[in-house]
Amino acid sequence: MAYQSSIQIQRNQIREIEREIVEINRIEENRSIRAAAKAVQVLSRRRGNGIYYLGDGEGRMLVGNISTFPSNVLMNDGIFTIDYNRERAFASDNNRKRFKGYALLKSTKLGDGFRLIVGRDIVERRGYTAIIFRGFLFGVIGIVVLSLLTGALSAMRVLKRIDSISNTSDKIMSGNLSERIPVTKRNDEYDRLATSLNDMLDRIEQLMLGLKEVSDNVAHDLKTPLTRMRNKAEAALRKSASAKDRTKALEENIKESDNLIRTFNALLLIARVEAGTPSGSFSQFDINETIKDIAELYLPVAEDAGFMLSTNILGKINIFANRELVGQALVNLLENAIKYASNSDKENLQIILGTREDNGKVEIEVSDNGMGITKDDRTRATERFVRLEKSRTEPGSGLGLSLVKAVAKLHKGELRLEDNKSGLRAIISLPKTG
Amino acid sequence: MKILLIEDDREAANYLIQALDEAGHVTHHASDGETGYAMASDMDYDVLIIDRMLPRRDGLSIIESLRAEGDKTPVLILSALGEVDDRVTGLRAGGDDYLTKPYAFSELLARVEILARRSNPLEATNSFSVGDLKLDRLSRKITRDGRDILLQPREFRLLEYLMKHSGQVVTRTMLLENVWDYHFDPQTNVIDVHISRLRAKIDKGFNKSLLQTIRGAGYMISD
Repeated sequence: MAYQSSIQIQRNQIREIEREIVEINRIEENRSIRAAAKAVQVLSRRRGNGIYYLGDGEGRMLVGNISTFPSNVLMNDGIFTIDYNRERAFASDNNRKRFKGYALLKSTKLGDGFRLIVGRDIVERRGYTAIIFRGFLFGVIGIVVLSLLTGALSAMRVLKRIDSISNTSDKIMSGNLSERIPVTKRNDEYDRLATSLNDMLDRIEQLMLGLKEVSDNVAHDLKTPLTRMRNKAEAALRKSASAKDRTKALEENIKESDNLIRTFNALLLIARVEAGTPSGSFSQFDINETIKDIAELYLPVAEDAGFMLSTNILGKINIFANRELVGQALVNLLENAIKYASNSDKENLQIILGTREDNGKVEIEVSDNGMGITKDDRTRATERFVRLEKSRTEPGSGLGLSLVKAVAKLHKGELRLEDNKSGLRAIISLPKTG
Repeated sequence: MKILLIEDDREAANYLIQALDEAGHVTHHASDGETGYAMASDMDYDVLIIDRMLPRRDGLSIIESLRAEGDKTPVLILSALGEVDDRVTGLRAGGDDYLTKPYAFSELLARVEILARRSNPLEATNSFSVGDLKLDRLSRKITRDGRDILLQPREFRLLEYLMKHSGQVVTRTMLLENVWDYHFDPQTNVIDVHISRLRAKIDKGFNKSLLQTIRGAGYMISD
């Protein structure tokens, strides 16, 4: 660029020089050599870097500001660059070396053997080039330094943020699940990343807590009957135990182990359903037919428990689902209703099994008019092994609703527990397919 | 009856052999798939009890080979896998019944005895009778001692199943599977209540009770 601009300057200077020569030439041709000399004199007295010379055929200067030139400049036409001795200091620049000059000249022959030389001191030009070059150099260095600096700064910032993320994950890996990535007030992309990672960590922590609770409950619910079984077997082995005691202990052991197996099966089934059973086990069937079957199956039990069991279904509603699992889910809800709603001392106890189609959904409903469960308990009720306080003493694994929830989820639906204005309404809402 | 048990768990096998012996059955035992398959093809058995997961040869492949050879001996599959699809694949392979471990011996015995009977051509009969109780499958009419008994459709199927296997123990799970076509394990005594309602219709007012409860096992209808 510096080179480019120096070329440009040189071109401009040559053009200027040529213009002056043409002008002087015209003056000489139109008027006289005297007028031309006058013009050269005027020009040479001007301040600036102009070099002017008008001499005769023998190389004697008539007018101008430089008197001596190398002989080839005085003899030939053309453009030259020469070293020369300044005879007059340019007033404008004192810091220049006084007597050493460097000039760009054009030498022309005028009529009658006169020689005109017009030139420019190009030390200035060179200085200018140097200034441009220096400016350019400083610019480049500045840009490089600045970008290195910004690069280093932003890299440091990024590294600091990444370090904070990796520190946090180290802490989490070492077991502190409640650790979170710090979020600054800048709200930049790192903060958004940190926020979404934190959300993920929240979810994982929640799941881990859930898992811990489940395993605690599994431990409790499986260990308690195992302990009872062991105690009973030990008691039966005591010398004082009669044959009748032993038989009784064995029978009780079988009963306990059956219950354990049932709990275990339910757990496995839930795990299996949550992992998603292959859809090959799905088929198209009329859910109302299933409702009728199950109502019919449970009618005697419900009646014996003091319930009116009825269905509220209309026509055919075909769904694409796993019939066994949907049936099992319905039975769980129904058994819950029979088990818990009968605690109510109300008369006219009722359970209604119903279905309805609503907005592309099929809702399967089991509602009772027993005591219901409070709003807070409703969400807890579907968790694994959770048995609400009132039902602690009832037999059961505490897995019934968890399974229903898992089955609903398997079918891309949901389980909702609602208030039935006295009583509970459990709804399995499935998307209607086919 | 003569039973072949193919089961690799020695303790479980010994227990079963002893219990089946007490129930009056002769049981041969093979502890791996290859031996079991050889024994099953060489000798005639009334029922095969085959564990699904066996060393050297998988239980389902034994059944498939036997069926391919035209062997129609009833097979009860024992398995720790008890999901709906596992049951379906087991039955599709040619098994006749499927029992999930752990099981009650009474359940296994009841199923084995019913399987053994199945090989006798009894399905073709259109009417059953137990003592003075008669069931006609075509006219769907039930009489006892000449008197008509009216039953709900499901009660009819329940009685039909019991009478088809008269003199044999039928468990609650078998009833749920065969009469209601569900394979889950009900927590409440749903089946018992249906039985007692059925009993009220067929036994009430008669000197002799035909429908009996077999303690710890299930029900049996017999003269």
